[in-house]
Amino acid sequence: MDKCHKFKESRRNFIRQATGAALGFGISGATGFDARAALKDGGLVKLTILHTNDTHSRVEPFPMDGSKYQGLGGAARRAALIGRIRAEEQHVLLLDAGDIFQGTPYFNLYGGEVEMKLMTAMGYDAATMGNHDFDNGLEGFHKQLPHAGFPILCTNYDFSDTLMKGATLPYQVFRKGGMRIGVFGIGIELKGLVADVNFGATQYLDPLKTANKTADLLRNELDCDLVVCLSHLGYSYENKKVSDQVLAAGNRNIDLIIGGHTHTFMEVPEDVKNLAGGVTTINQAGFAGINLGRIDYYFEKKRRSHVKFAAPYLITNG
Amino acid sequence: MMMFFYKRIWFINWLPAGLLLMTSLGCSTGYQLSKSNRKEYVIDQKTGADSTVIKAYLPYKAKMEAEMSQVIGHSAILMSKKSSDTLPESLLSNFFADAVMLEAKKVDPSIDFGIPSTKGGLRVDLPEGNVTVSNIFELMPFENEVVVYQLSGQQVRELLDFVAATNGQPVTGLQLKIKDRKLITAKVNGQEIDPAKTYRVLTSDYIGGGGDKVPVFKDIKDRKSLGLKIRDALMGYVREMEAQGKLLSSSLDGRIVKL
Repeated sequence: MDKCHKFKESRRNFIRQATGAALGFGISGATGFDARAALKDGGLVKLTILHTNDTHSRVEPFPMDGSKYQGLGGAARRAALIGRIRAEEQHVLLLDAGDIFQGTPYFNLYGGEVEMKLMTAMGYDAATMGNHDFDNGLEGFHKQLPHAGFPILCTNYDFSDTLMKGATLPYQVFRKGGMRIGVFGIGIELKGLVADVNFGATQYLDPLKTANKTADLLRNELDCDLVVCLSHLGYSYENKKVSDQVLAAGNRNIDLIIGGHTHTFMEVPEDVKNLAGGVTTINQAGFAGINLGRIDYYFEKKRRSHVKFAAPYLITNG
Repeated sequence: MMMFFYKRIWFINWLPAGLLLMTSLGCSTGYQLSKSNRKEYVIDQKTGADSTVIKAYLPYKAKMEAEMSQVIGHSAILMSKKSSDTLPESLLSNFFADAVMLEAKKVDPSIDFGIPSTKGGLRVDLPEGNVTVSNIFELMPFENEVVVYQLSGQQVRELLDFVAATNGQPVTGLQLKIKDRKLITAKVNGQEIDPAKTYRVLTSDYIGGGGDKVPVFKDIKDRKSLGLKIRDALMGYVREMEAQGKLLSSSLDGRIVKL
């Protein structure tokens, strides 16, 4: 019952927020979305998801040395950009899909302390682990956790027999404007990619099965309105190795996969038809904090008297 | 910037089920996804910077720069990463392999020969003159460790076939003759390879795990980690040469000869 009370409170908040939100972003009729009708029916609310992956200790922008990405990225700029978006948007989730560590001497000298502190300062809500986050062993990662003011989400690494036991969470449900957003993490197989000694007794659980089990739980038991998977599996492979594409097609309840590992710069997110006949969207934002990814979701109050129809994508240069 | 808009359709037919859920549980948050769009930001100088974040990392940066710019040795020559003129050997390959081997032998003198990296794993040139900590970090940015494997004579042949087929790799303790990317003769420290003997071979945990497509090691269980990072081995060698007042150098000494 307590939960219901919270809901009612948040619903009142929601109506206020939705009014502002709907007036604010002025959706055109061309999108097939009638904001006024949505409002009349109980309003709508916007959730902004910001994301990075494979930031690889890139605290400062790439040096001006003639290399491909010279002058790009940098944590202070990312923080400024995130700050501006937060000032504009009410409901923001900031997520990272792993490989926070390794790539500049900041990691070699300080072991990830700087990266964790800066992510905390930027207000990251959650991150998952990439293979390079094991580069200083489980001890090396564990040592940096006091600097991380956000949860590390890992569903398919079983750390029970290691010193990381209890240090990560399988998933987290975030409440934003009355909505429930379930976020969980899926990691890549470590054997062969990471030195044995660095992952020790970590048990690797089947990514597809574990992801489905967790997403089903988040959707069906924990009433999540949106289910997000932070994945370090990699976008796509030529062989049958499990990738984000495989996971997208082979799941029932994931709305969004925020990917990593393959350092893929995606022009547009990819929508894949999943096992339930719905859409699982994959997005990845390159690497090294060169880009910040953003996806806005608009939620409507469930309408009981309308049947909604699908509208096709409208891709613009907006 | 690309954006996209779409409607989600998969709540449509849930009407009766949704009502049922609402009445029976009465606790669903009651939202449904109707639309999403997407944007991506490139982060460059136009983004502006958050000075509190700069302030947070400045002390680390200052300490790091002091550490990284420290001169730990001097090189008589430029050792270039570009090796196309000198393959199957290169000055940088020979220097790298010998330096890691010398330091590793202080921990384990029983090592017969080594292939501590592939040539692709040597990331940058080592300059003539001052050699800084930063130079070594750039040459070897990864946290790879020195590992010693026990190989049979037959497995050594297979490994050296790979070295020949790839037109040479950074090796030490070997004398190879290759022709048309085939191994013609191979000696370990001047001795013919004995098929009945086992050899103790240095490499990195990365190469040992099959990294850079190096064969043989990944199937071998008998391995020993020396608790020494490749970069620390290089650093140790450079510092020791400096302490002895010697310049770093390298030569194409004919360890791999193309016939």
